[in-house]
Amino acid sequence: MATINAELTFTSDITSSGTSFTKNMIMNKAGRSAATGLEFTSGLITRKYTAVTEVDLVVTGVQLYGTPTANAADGSTNSANKLYIKNTSSSVTDYVTIGIGTAAETQEIDDNSSNNHIGRLYGGDWMLIPFNGLTTNNDITVKPSTAEATTVEWMLFFE
Amino acid sequence: MATTTSTLKLESADLTDNALALSVSKICYKGGTTIGLDQSTGLTRTYLTATTSIDIFPVVKGATNAAETGKIYIANLSEDETEFIIVSLANSVIGRLYAGDWMWMPWTPQAQHLSDIEIAPSVTTGMIIEYMAVHNFANIYPTSADA
Repeated sequence: MATINAELTFTSDITSSGTSFTKNMIMNKAGRSAATGLEFTSGLITRKYTAVTEVDLVVTGVQLYGTPTANAADGSTNSANKLYIKNTSSSVTDYVTIGIGTAAETQEIDDNSSNNHIGRLYGGDWMLIPFNGLTTNNDITVKPSTAEATTVEWMLFFE
Repeated sequence: MATTTSTLKLESADLTDNALALSVSKICYKGGTTIGLDQSTGLTRTYLTATTSIDIFPVVKGATNAAETGKIYIANLSEDETEFIIVSLANSVIGRLYAGDWMWMPWTPQAQHLSDIEIAPSVTTGMIIEYMAVHNFANIYPTSADA
């Protein structure tokens, strides 16, 4: 068991009175208290891409670093896995598109059978999301906007 | 110009043999620019009492924001560690947020239904959920029933 803390600090002056908050999260196992934190990690992985091709960034199922538990639809297995991704580029204009599904598939609307794009990470952008981990159409994909070298970091915390 | 900054600190003293200490901070710009995002849904706090999936960030029909990028924050404020919400991008399940969990991610709405952000609570006994989008999109609605 490990104790992993993730703290988000948000500040903004979009609204006339401003908005700011800090939110702390202890990464616990599914349905468990702070005494049972997530205990496995992929490590901080660095990948460099040099083509405008969509590929699987984080693949579900058996991996060299272990097998993340998936959230089965029937509830037989549950998990509170977390995934951190960062585009380490400093470019303002170049980005990577992060998706969910399978890179080899084309996008289709709302059918959960192919690939759906979540959003873009420009240089320096980061994200922290839960990781469902089902072996069907649940990979996390990446597609650079340029063939110039683009480096993406990611780290999976799992049970 | 508005300035919105998100900062993450990831720390663990015992996950690996050497302590983990990761920190990243980024100003949220409009896609491909150094102009700050200038719209917000506001920080919404809602109490959900059904396990029905709802669109918390639906995309308006005909809206074209495929070249834009916004940011999304969602937090499960439940204090019961067994309670969770399932977060989905349309029908693609991203994962579960258990009590106390939060998430931060980019969002590029491409089309109605295809890019809706949905949540489904695990219980009907009531859960408090907090969420917000910071963006520059032409059209997104407040919460509406799933279509």
